[in-house]
Amino acid sequence: MYENDPDIRNDLFQEIVIQLWKSFGSFRGEAKITTWMYRIALNTAISGFRKQSRKIKTEDIRESHFNISDNGEDNREEDFQRLQRAIQNLSEIERAMIMMALEEVPYEDIAQTIGITQNNVRVRMNRIREKIRKLMEH
Amino acid sequence: MELEELKNIWKNTTPNFQSKGESEIALMLKKQSQSIVGKIKRNVWFELIFTIVGGFALLVYVFTLPSGALKWFFVSALILLVVYLFYYAKKIMMLNRYNKLHVNMKLNLEILINNLSGYLKFYKRSYAILYPVYFCLMLIFIGLERGTDEFVQAISRPEKILLLVFLAVFFFICSRWLTKWYLRKLYGNHLEKLKSLLNDLEE
Repeated sequence: MYENDPDIRNDLFQEIVIQLWKSFGSFRGEAKITTWMYRIALNTAISGFRKQSRKIKTEDIRESHFNISDNGEDNREEDFQRLQRAIQNLSEIERAMIMMALEEVPYEDIAQTIGITQNNVRVRMNRIREKIRKLMEH
Repeated sequence: MELEELKNIWKNTTPNFQSKGESEIALMLKKQSQSIVGKIKRNVWFELIFTIVGGFALLVYVFTLPSGALKWFFVSALILLVVYLFYYAKKIMMLNRYNKLHVNMKLNLEILINNLSGYLKFYKRSYAILYPVYFCLMLIFIGLERGTDEFVQAISRPEKILLLVFLAVFFFICSRWLTKWYLRKLYGNHLEKLKSLLNDLEE
């Protein structure tokens, strides 16, 4: 879900699998296995992976309509699409953090994965939440 | 909008992840890594193999040449290729130390920026040294070809000295510019992106 384009997403997934396999020797049990896996995955996605040059199919934010829907059953999918679009318009670091938060990763683990303090995670998460709210309202 | 609300939207609608089978994972592991370090490593291996093959072909050709300036020119080129072999080996050793994906993101960015900057500096410096060396070698062998006395007499004239200086400066500037352009095109943008990510984290 980190990448919007399915081709890039598949390439990234494959790259993460390769890097997890290659890095397995570096796991010494100092952190939880999930934290270690998140580190490898995010480091691969953010710093180590260079996208293939292909036409990006992501939708332009300016063309999207961000309106909060009634929270009825039929609009769930629509809300999800809006949330996804809002996430795609965040910076890479913000995207990484919100993705972990949405997957119920505790702030302590997010702090360990990113390399910042828990307080910093809290502050940033409030800012991200606010950004997403604005993006979904417009 | 609270984080819990976002989590609910996410949880209720996120398409279920389809777990991959053993054979699918095995197939993925056989493919080449697209990581920046993986790509640089492949480039260096390609350059290394190309240098070995090219060097071998040149060696065979040198044996067919009669003794003279041309032969010695190619011998010096062969010596340079040997120097390049050490240089490529050093680059591969540097790249093998790069795999630090298990550390936190901030530390990983710092390591990657340092390593990539160091690698680019090493690349630029080596070319900044090798190009002038090659230029001087060219001059020496032209001198040998024309006869030392005649050559010294020719280059001691002011207009020849000026021409030589102009050529040297031109050769040096062009080679520096080409190396810089090539490196910026290959790795410069990626390095800038990494720096901006680190800035974003440090804010």
